[in-house]
Amino acid sequence: MYRAFNHLPESLRAGDEGRLSGVYVSVKDNVCVEGMPSTAGSRVLEGYVPPFDATVVAKCRLEGAAILGKTAQDEFGFGTFNVNTPYGVPLNPHDPERSPGGSSGGAAVVTAAAEFPHLAISESTGGSISCPASFCGVVGVTPTYGRTSRWGLIDYANSLDKIGCMGKTVRDAALLLSVISGPDRYDSTVLHAPVDDYVARADEPVEGLRVGVPREYFGEGVDQGVSEAVWRGIKRLEERGAEISEVSLPFTRYSLSSYYIIAMAEASTNLAKFCGLRYGLHMPLEGTFDEYFSAVRSAGFGDEAKRRIILGTYARMAGYRDAYYLKALRVRTRVIEDFKRVFGDVDVLAAPTMPVVAPRFDEVADMEPIQHYMMDVLTVAPNLAGIPMASVPCGESDGMPVGLHVMADHLGEADVIRATAAVEEG
Amino acid sequence: MSDAEIDRGMVRRVAEAAHLSLTDEELERYERQLKVILEAFRELDEVDTQGVEPSYHPVELEGVLRDDEVSHWSWDPLANSAHREDGYFRGPRIQ
Amino acid sequence: MEATIGLEIHVRLRTTSKLFCGCSTDSADAEPNANTCPICLGFPGSKPKINKKAVEHGIRIAKALNCSLAPAVRFSRKSYFYPDMPKNYQITQYEQPLAEAGYLVLNGRRIRIRRVHLEEDPARLVHVGGDITSSLYNLIDYNRSGVPLAEIVTEPDIADTREARLFLEKLGVTLDHLGVYDPHAEGSLRVDANVSVDGGSRVEVKNITGYRNVEKALSFEAVRQRSMARMGVDVARETRHYDSGTGSTVSLRGKEQEEDYGYIVEPDLVRINLRPGWVETIEATMPELPDQRTMRLVEQYGITGFQAGIIVNAGLEMSLFYEECCRLYGDAETVANWLVTYLLKSLNYLGLTLGESGVKPGTFVELLTLIDEGVISQRTAKELIKDYAAGGESPRRLVEEKGLALMPRGRLREVVAEVVAENPQAVEDYLGGTGKAAEYLVGQVLRRVRARADANVVRKIIIEMLESIGDNASVAQ
Repeated sequence: MYRAFNHLPESLRAGDEGRLSGVYVSVKDNVCVEGMPSTAGSRVLEGYVPPFDATVVAKCRLEGAAILGKTAQDEFGFGTFNVNTPYGVPLNPHDPERSPGGSSGGAAVVTAAAEFPHLAISESTGGSISCPASFCGVVGVTPTYGRTSRWGLIDYANSLDKIGCMGKTVRDAALLLSVISGPDRYDSTVLHAPVDDYVARADEPVEGLRVGVPREYFGEGVDQGVSEAVWRGIKRLEERGAEISEVSLPFTRYSLSSYYIIAMAEASTNLAKFCGLRYGLHMPLEGTFDEYFSAVRSAGFGDEAKRRIILGTYARMAGYRDAYYLKALRVRTRVIEDFKRVFGDVDVLAAPTMPVVAPRFDEVADMEPIQHYMMDVLTVAPNLAGIPMASVPCGESDGMPVGLHVMADHLGEADVIRATAAVEEG
Repeated sequence: MSDAEIDRGMVRRVAEAAHLSLTDEELERYERQLKVILEAFRELDEVDTQGVEPSYHPVELEGVLRDDEVSHWSWDPLANSAHREDGYFRGPRIQ
Repeated sequence: MEATIGLEIHVRLRTTSKLFCGCSTDSADAEPNANTCPICLGFPGSKPKINKKAVEHGIRIAKALNCSLAPAVRFSRKSYFYPDMPKNYQITQYEQPLAEAGYLVLNGRRIRIRRVHLEEDPARLVHVGGDITSSLYNLIDYNRSGVPLAEIVTEPDIADTREARLFLEKLGVTLDHLGVYDPHAEGSLRVDANVSVDGGSRVEVKNITGYRNVEKALSFEAVRQRSMARMGVDVARETRHYDSGTGSTVSLRGKEQEEDYGYIVEPDLVRINLRPGWVETIEATMPELPDQRTMRLVEQYGITGFQAGIIVNAGLEMSLFYEECCRLYGDAETVANWLVTYLLKSLNYLGLTLGESGVKPGTFVELLTLIDEGVISQRTAKELIKDYAAGGESPRRLVEEKGLALMPRGRLREVVAEVVAENPQAVEDYLGGTGKAAEYLVGQVLRRVRARADANVVRKIIIEMLESIGDNASVAQ
């Protein structure tokens, strides 16, 4: 199926009862499923079989879901086009010569192409749910940081990772969101606010909803066709009684650097555990531990992973950590303040999810790493701030889907669902 | 932000600290790519962060503790390891 | 030997479960890797969660060491690669440690404490086919991984190797009184030391287990540095490893550059506010500390400061033992004398702790009572205490088994009479003015009765008897 799966189980078992009975749930490969191989898209975890379920998976099982399999992704989440993987690169169902987006490419592909009841557990650090949802024309919801438990998520960046979901429609995604949200006793960073019935929220009217359109998100880097499709979506909200206004988020442009520095610093520590001792890729035990660890890690990590490990290590070294790591954390505060200020005046923000439609694979191959990073420019700010967001298809450009991004203040999932459902109806 | 440019020597030292052995080709390529990326990061110098606290998390979280009680995991810790001996994990020598 | 010494002490905290997971910390009799879970084994997807009791123990330590407590604490990741590290970073405290700027008073001098913080223990390595420098490979047991540690760092205020040992003894007793660690558990206290001699380079000596080894390790190091200085050789600033087998420090061949730990705040954990209410509750329930206890023992029991100091310094166990004995027996000074002068000496000689020996307040008091009852002599008691200390067996029963009870006075007189009758020459000599002859008779009696009579009592009886013979003789004349 468009090479969407890293792993498929031998048999499927769905429960009889529960909100997800009769539903197949695919799981991004970096979310652990007990007994099912989990590689997070990396060779360094080849052969690893987790001894426990991620909390979100356990919650789905309790509601009667059948776990469909592990979906393909960029290695550890490092990527915007799902090409950074030693395993199969998934293909965009709308045009197999184009990228499905990343890092949750596999999840978006299955969601778009499945012709059976299916929901996808996915994960976002800097936009890894929104981007592929936008490129593949499906709905992708990234909840508030801490809304879902990260127990069982193979970490990319612990202060940025959020487990979320994808579905063909807003109501589909909302259903899964309701199931997987909520605290557990294993993750210290979960939020204890009560979990809403998000499906019901989708039926609420948007009359009087204050929608802010940030001018910085419609800059010159955004494709004309994309911009137009997004505006049509915003118009639909207006037709349904929402109040549209322009707002400004001046710290948007600094979000990219701040995000990447923090993400890479945290990631470089998270990836240190992969050294061929307890799980994953092993080699014959030869040499000193320095030599053995280096051999396993050099063989197991891909190019992008190595780059991020080096940058992340550099950013927190003595002499550089004030200028990079701590500076980025302070800039993050300003980005969050920026959003908080704006949410004093509006309920949600609306903008394009990605500046372009899904690019062709050969275009992607020509891009330098810095250009990959810059593609995230519209998703990193809300991800950095940990605010909830969802991408909903709002039309096409050049025959490819365009996603409209709705964002709200922390724990504002209800407004996000409400607004995206209204856009969808058009 | 530091004016210390990242050069090949620095890339090698950082990679070594992170236990990655790079080929000459990788060293050369990464040096080039990382220079560009770090140059882009310099834009953060423009942001005034005087008196601004760092945000270690995007939401305000505090005070999560567990009681001092034993909870037992029934599992095989060695199941995913190829290197084991008599209930221990085998590890490479120090020197 | 004079030196500038700073100490870094790692104390294994007494909690039921580990610092970041619910695995048991009691691994003394466990199979390797029996007390583990995905968290302390660093499995991908696992997340830590802080043990409240460990934090409370940390607060107690900080208060006992007169430190300033931070308003809130955070944990950090300290990155370095090593086979005993499940995540190749250690969760410790860097940005916001628990406490700073305290002191411990040692013989009227303040040894300053720079910092107290919490961190997790790494795993245990078994070196196969050699030692740390020569092993062929290692075996790794993660039972120890994740056990909570308090790290206590001193300023380089310690002036010589003996003071280092005294400091650690006092610190150990303090921690024992706080109830935050088990002084008898193997490896519960590990020391790294920074030593420099005569203003030379600072050398770090790692891996000194138990404070008895500290004086040896530091003395070796100080001598080494001084010898080098005398020969005009520069002392390298480096890290050395203490080998308790040879009693020497060895250089660990390795990278010259200082390790860069690349600290970041631990993003899987959140800030813990040390709320005043919480801290006050802990302070209010702090147990009595060694210095306070020493003063109270002097006041309450009328013993000397010297004796009180010895009792307290021997550990919390010993203090409690002493007070219970006083409660049972009444005469606090007698208890103190016998405890300090004889019992402790026996225990030290046997290499036993109070707990290991089986000695209990009830049986100790029994020993003292036997003396009071006249069943045994003081001399016998001093001998008996050695056997008693070895197993804690009831002294009354020991006396019976060994036949050590003092002979009843009447029977003793009979024996003396027998001996006198058998030695007419000695009697004549004594009456003739040779006082020494009585000693000869005392010796003869003692040989016959052994420990069952006190020599002084025997002498008294013999002299009485001899004098009365003399009187009778003169009367007869």
